[in-house]
Amino acid sequence: MWQRLRAFFKWRAPRTLKVTRSGRTFLVVTVGVGLGALNTGNNLLYLILGLLLSLIVASGLLSERSLRDVQVKRLLPDAAHAGEPFALRYLVTRREGWGFALTLRELGVGLKGHAFVPMVSAAEPVTVRAQMVAERRGPLALTEVEVSTIFPFGLFSKTRRVELDELLLVFPRRGFACIEPDAAQGAPAGDGGNPRRRDGTGDLLGLRELSEGEDARRVHWIKSATLGKLLKVEREREERRQFVLKVAGSLDPASLELRCEEVAALTRRLLSQGHEVGLDTGGQRIRPGGGPGHERRVLSALAWVGFDAPLREGGSEARR
Amino acid sequence: MTPAGRTRTRLVLRDLSATAAFASIVLSGSVPAWALVAYGLALLTSLLGRRPLTGRPTVSVILLLLTAVVLFGASFRGMIDLVVAACTFAGLVTSHRLLSEPTSGTDQQVHLTSLLMLAGGAALTGELWYGLCLSAFAVTSSISLGLSVIEPEGGSSEQLEVRPLVRSISAGTLIALLGAMGFFVLFPRLSWNIASRRTPPGLLGGTTGMSDSVRLGGAGDIKSSPRAVARVKVRPDPGSARLDAYFPGRSFDVFDGREWRGTGKAKPSRQMVRLVKELPRKTVSQSIELLPGYGSRTLLGLEHPVTFTAGSALTATGVTRTAFTEVPDEEVRIDQASNGYSYSVSSAPELQRETLEDAERYQRLPDALDPRVKALADQVLGAETRPLASATALQRYLQREYAYTLELGGDVADPLADFLFVRKAGHCEHFATALTVLLRTRKIPARVTAGFFGGERVGSAYVLRAGDAHAWTQVFVDGRGWVTVDATPASGRGNQPPRLLAWLASTYERLEDWWRARVVDYSFQDQVDIARSLVSPPREASSSRWSLPALPGLWPTLAALAAAIAVYGAVQRGWGARRGKRHAATGFLEQIEARLDRAGIARLPGEPLEELTARLSQIAHPIAPALSRATRAYLLARFGNQSLPATERAALLQALVRRDAPSSLTPSHP
Repeated sequence: MWQRLRAFFKWRAPRTLKVTRSGRTFLVVTVGVGLGALNTGNNLLYLILGLLLSLIVASGLLSERSLRDVQVKRLLPDAAHAGEPFALRYLVTRREGWGFALTLRELGVGLKGHAFVPMVSAAEPVTVRAQMVAERRGPLALTEVEVSTIFPFGLFSKTRRVELDELLLVFPRRGFACIEPDAAQGAPAGDGGNPRRRDGTGDLLGLRELSEGEDARRVHWIKSATLGKLLKVEREREERRQFVLKVAGSLDPASLELRCEEVAALTRRLLSQGHEVGLDTGGQRIRPGGGPGHERRVLSALAWVGFDAPLREGGSEARR
Repeated sequence: MTPAGRTRTRLVLRDLSATAAFASIVLSGSVPAWALVAYGLALLTSLLGRRPLTGRPTVSVILLLLTAVVLFGASFRGMIDLVVAACTFAGLVTSHRLLSEPTSGTDQQVHLTSLLMLAGGAALTGELWYGLCLSAFAVTSSISLGLSVIEPEGGSSEQLEVRPLVRSISAGTLIALLGAMGFFVLFPRLSWNIASRRTPPGLLGGTTGMSDSVRLGGAGDIKSSPRAVARVKVRPDPGSARLDAYFPGRSFDVFDGREWRGTGKAKPSRQMVRLVKELPRKTVSQSIELLPGYGSRTLLGLEHPVTFTAGSALTATGVTRTAFTEVPDEEVRIDQASNGYSYSVSSAPELQRETLEDAERYQRLPDALDPRVKALADQVLGAETRPLASATALQRYLQREYAYTLELGGDVADPLADFLFVRKAGHCEHFATALTVLLRTRKIPARVTAGFFGGERVGSAYVLRAGDAHAWTQVFVDGRGWVTVDATPASGRGNQPPRLLAWLASTYERLEDWWRARVVDYSFQDQVDIARSLVSPPREASSSRWSLPALPGLWPTLAALAAAIAVYGAVQRGWGARRGKRHAATGFLEQIEARLDRAGIARLPGEPLEELTARLSQIAHPIAPALSRATRAYLLARFGNQSLPATERAALLQALVRRDAPSSLTPSHP
């Protein structure tokens, strides 16, 4: 019995209908004409009333035809940062007929933005781009796409929900890191420390005179002999260090968000400087590394910080 | 269609829908001329793509305030009806919006004011044209709205094929129109069915010219207008297609050489007028409706009218009872000036009247009558003195010796002498004047009577048209009273429009009659009748109230139209089915193959397109790069479930044409 009741209250109409602004005006005029017809008995007013009411019915039929066969496939972006527009693409197809004036929105997961498809036919599927903005960081469970149309007259907006389960990881908001990282692991500053790193990495950048105290092993002997002075080889990344950034799991939500954004910004900065970055979130550790793929791994881990399960409709996230 | 093309089409359709709505009130003839001119100029400017009021809110507000003050001020002072003022104001607001920046908000305002105009038009007019205006508005505004909903916010640069959209919306509009008819028929009439406010004279005004006098002369041609001016229901119904009867309106006794006038004194007005002391036994009753085009208050009736009753005037506020005023031996007119009238009249085929009290009144001649006129009468009549015989002799003479023409001879000093001795041709007024004056030269009492001759069957009534206006002579015969003698040749009596115009007018009249009976005056009783007819079949199939008017050539035309539509539909379906079985990309492949053929590139038997492309690439054929792109696009569209937009497809095909291919390429043997 209880399950039945719950099922009943969870039941949703297959279509929802909203009256647009011009639709409200239209309805007011229709009511006015109807009252005028009833009051005066003027048959021509009855004729107009019939036309207006039939236009409402025709609007319902045509909008249903437009929505009925629409199929949507979501094409997720490579990266999505909180508070920043990103492109979410949809492949819209139909089995038959035409669809007009379709608006696509993500339902209830804090994604703002929509895509608009003027017309789509069975013969020509359409890929359309929505400029979305995620309000906050985290794994978003995209469950439904809302497809609505104001076709044919713009009086009503009819909506249909298309179930489409996918996960979108929203990386922390991009910003500036106002903190410095903890002390680097491994190689200290300068040419000392790990001998593997003394030569620097990357392509040859140039030669300069060896300063006092610098490692003689980096002298370019042939050029030095030619010029008669000691020349040191310089490479692209001279001082490559390793950092492990930490995010404490015990922070309150606001501080946690801030920390994640700072760590993301630091990661980006350190990686762009040639360093290697690792992450320690308490529950998850990522070894230091470099390159775009590694940055993505760090950002993904940061997106999951504080969440056990993806954010769902209504904001019922499972925070750790 | 390009975005600019779509916008232009949408705005033109919007303007046309607004114009259809404005026309619905203009056709009532109530809209002030200056408002009509203002709207016309605004429409023209808008159609030319100019929007002079864009970004000028102050000018807009001042203009609208000014028009509101003028219109509603005039309404307050009783110079213009409030509904007309409101409709005109809606029209001017619409014209203002046509000249403003074309945003979606502006479009909505135009459609809203157009709807208000249509609602106002329903109160002002009941003509068939209103139905056409309503349908035109429904179609054009629907497509315009449809074109606006496919435009995203902020505009679009995308080329779109709008034909499917127009098809879909047209189907929706058709559903809406059919639904409107169904609703109209079935929705119970819960209120009193007061007929709508009848139309004022309309744009053409009154056309019959039933004035206080008949003046000879003038220049130009008399137009034979097919416009209906009166509907006459005769009881007992003669049932004939044409009545060809005289409907006298007004008689004239005094002729001054150029003009006929009546000198009778009006009696006090009454609700019922009886022209004879004793009613004849045999009378013919008529219910007559004088339409807005009639333009006079003089009442008509079949010859010889004896009683006028049940007069009502159709005013802007509805139907009101009104009284009659009799001018003895001259006319009966209705008291209240209005757009249209209805009344009942009884007529006797012949009225017995022994003597004429004031015979001298009908024997008076103009002071400066040409002596040749009397000489002519003497010459024709000789010793004949009997009134009717004299009249008949003169009638025959005039019909034999004079020609009928609608061409006017211009203003001359003595139009009668000009007709009799110079032009020897004229219209009905010349013939009637000549016969009357010739009779009077012999001291025979005679007068000119103006009215209508004709009566064409439309539905259950006979219609009199403006072109049926006629004048004839009545001669007094002791013991018989006034007897009609028409000197005009038979070919010159009644309406003589060109055949096509007559057919159009007749068709329109029948449709108008059907429209009035089935739409404007549709009532609760009609609904009951329909319900009854559904329950029990009608006794006579031919007497169905809802059958379409009997239009000559209607059913063959409709049948031909239906057949043409069916054939077109079948061809479209067959074509669509044939196309539907194929993949959309197949057409593209055929186009590629056609271009390869034109370039003289032959494929080996069974060689697929991709292999041909590879072969041409190997030999570095000039067409190979373009063909390679086209082949890839085809394969992606055909097997990769990717779209191939029309623009890209056209570009790929165009690239194939541009290559400087050798004239021919002989395939190597496999």
